[in-house]
Amino acid sequence: MAILDDLKDIIVDILDVQAQEITEESKLVEDLKADSLDIVEMLMQIEDKFGLQIPESTAEDFKTVKDVVDYLEKRLQEK
Amino acid sequence: MEFKPLIIGNHTAAVPIIQGGMGVGISLSGLASAVSRQGAIGVISAIEIGMDEPDYRQNKRKANIQGLRNEIRRTRALADGGVFGVNIMAAINNYEEMVRTAVEEEVDIIIVGAGLPLNLPGFVRGTNTAVVPIVSSAKAFQLIGRKWARDFGYSPDAVIVEGPLAGGHLGFSRSQLERLDENRLENIVIDVLTEAQRFEDSSGRPIPVIAAGGIWDKEDIKRFINLGCQGVQMGTRFVATFECDASDEFKEAYLDADEDDVLIITSPVGMPGRVIRGSFIDSLGEGEKIKCRYNCLKTCNPAEAPYCIADALINAKTGNMDKGFAFCGANVGRVDRIVSVKELIRELTQ
Ligand SMILES: Cc1cc2nc3c(=O)[nH]c(=O)nc-3n(C[C@H](O)[C@H](O)[C@H](O)COP(=O)(O)O)c2cc1C
Repeated sequence: MAILDDLKDIIVDILDVQAQEITEESKLVEDLKADSLDIVEMLMQIEDKFGLQIPESTAEDFKTVKDVVDYLEKRLQEK
Repeated sequence: MEFKPLIIGNHTAAVPIIQGGMGVGISLSGLASAVSRQGAIGVISAIEIGMDEPDYRQNKRKANIQGLRNEIRRTRALADGGVFGVNIMAAINNYEEMVRTAVEEEVDIIIVGAGLPLNLPGFVRGTNTAVVPIVSSAKAFQLIGRKWARDFGYSPDAVIVEGPLAGGHLGFSRSQLERLDENRLENIVIDVLTEAQRFEDSSGRPIPVIAAGGIWDKEDIKRFINLGCQGVQMGTRFVATFECDASDEFKEAYLDADEDDVLIITSPVGMPGRVIRGSFIDSLGEGEKIKCRYNCLKTCNPAEAPYCIADALINAKTGNMDKGFAFCGANVGRVDRIVSVKELIRELTQ
């Protein structure tokens, strides 16, 4: 679950939420109240933390925390 | 003239005023070149710029590319060596293709609003074209600046800060627009100036900050220069010029409008916009479902849009005000005559 924890750290840093409020089912926009700037900020921090690049077109499909975790798991396995 | 020149990338304009890009078809080569000739910076709006191309209805994408080429060439031919730019909205579907075309045509400056131009420096590397984002918050500027520094080692050639009194689409929510005191352009500009200083400290390159939205006269310009801005961008006042590329009917709507005629709508672009009320706006909601011919915007959902904004704005540009509407800045009620660009620039600088 290291990925989820890292992701929670990033989200807590950017958004006005507590780690315990974030679950895999949390929707980034509706539940966590991320705006488009927050999403870009989150992607930048993820890229820095995990050392990879996320194409803009992929990022458009991220709706929930789980979407991001699944994507990162896949990418990190390929590494 | 007491103002200092405005330097953007490798380009220097004697008059530190940018005529904001105005779509659809409100600022084309006619207005942009007239402004450039006076030493300020003229800007062509790229949105639906192909509307006069013969194949616009059949192949809109291609027509817009060709229209952009033509308008850049016309502006250059008429600009007397003056600096000019192109305004491209990040929300349009063929944004990257339009940016590439403008770079190929060696335009001096590309200005991008309505969305985040996160990858813009990648298109201009090794060219003479400068890139300038329009932002409505220090947060957006800071994000773009960090992204450009990290991914491209590039610092914005300037930044335009557009406040809530501007015309066209606005980077504010409707509730922010109702609380104008909390969102004054001056306050946003001060925050952006602080961020710009930080970027300058780390990159060694200054980022000119340009204020836009509600700027009316020379006193307003001075106020923003005194705050630390290098220039201003203005829209509404340039509509009320002979050279403006809009129809006479469009300009008459500006002359006739009072403060009470100004209204905020939510456009199919998904952002609020400030407009002059008219029969088209009043009849909204009664119309039938639209048929989308263009698929022009990433953010428009034709199934839900109450009207086609491309058609409405083309109708307004060409003078059919019953089937369209005019975007305007909050100051439109103050417009009482049409002047030449030369007269306007003189009034603003002398
Ligand atoms: C009719 C009209 C159309 C506009 N279209 C665009 C546009 O296509 N892209 C854009 O970035 N800004 C657009 N704007 C905003 C202007 O470029 C400018 O920043 C703004 O109007 C400045 O505020 P002012 O009108 O109070 O001077 C438009 C403004 C007007 C009045």
